[in-house]
Amino acid sequence: MTAGGSGEDDEALAMRAAQGDAPAFEILVRRYQSRVFGLACRLTGSESDASDVLQDAFLQAYRHLGSFRRESRFSTWLYRIATNAALMHRRTLARRPTDPLDEYLPEFDDAGIHRATPAELQVMNRVEELIDRQTLADRARRAIDRLPDACRAAFVLRDLEDLSTAEVADILGIELATVRQRVHRARLMLRGYLNALAGGRA
Amino acid sequence: MTANCESGVSLLMEYLEGALAPDVSASLEEHVARCERCAAFVESYRRAPAILRAATDAQLPPDLAQALQKWLRARLS
Repeated sequence: MTAGGSGEDDEALAMRAAQGDAPAFEILVRRYQSRVFGLACRLTGSESDASDVLQDAFLQAYRHLGSFRRESRFSTWLYRIATNAALMHRRTLARRPTDPLDEYLPEFDDAGIHRATPAELQVMNRVEELIDRQTLADRARRAIDRLPDACRAAFVLRDLEDLSTAEVADILGIELATVRQRVHRARLMLRGYLNALAGGRA
Repeated sequence: MTANCESGVSLLMEYLEGALAPDVSASLEEHVARCERCAAFVESYRRAPAILRAATDAQLPPDLAQALQKWLRARLS
């Protein structure tokens, strides 16, 4: 897979970089720096934390190039390193415990029927009209920050970075079914949160 | 198996990924086709990720990109 820069594929560049070819590594950095930064912003919730993670991820990638195997995609391998760097970084931050998002999970009556009406269930569809862009960006970042740790990484990789469920399973070292479970729970909470936000209740 | 809203919601991601057995999938579709609440819910469930993706899109500042290249070059040489 190639993503800008020279026409040489990522895996070939990584093999050259592993043998000490620093310019080959620089091409990979230029190719992936935006994506790694975006991922780090979404996982840490802040641009300043993301810039630390960005440096750390590429430094670790360079140091561990010897463990890169051509059978896997370089992008998957790099995403794994960047995700771990972001998770480690989060652990070093003294974060206040935040309210979980459980209150936004859908509610059902004893017969298993949605308690909310169809109109109430789809207020969310208008969230981009009802909430200004900057507020929505801040609220979205904070809501993602409030997800359970296990759900956050799976959701960010699957739904915000748009990777396949199989790639996310590979990156996080978990089963497909576990990825689906975690992403699904995150989607339910965030859907409910956006719905409440659009309805003036969050 | 007859789906209700709650059981349908619990299977939604597997359904959307084609990971359900055909009969379970069919029962879920049947339920959503006649349940307005679920139809509304499914639509919002499918839209939420794209809304959040757009809202959290961050651009790497050019000065940070330059600083990264410089920082790495100093460590890799």
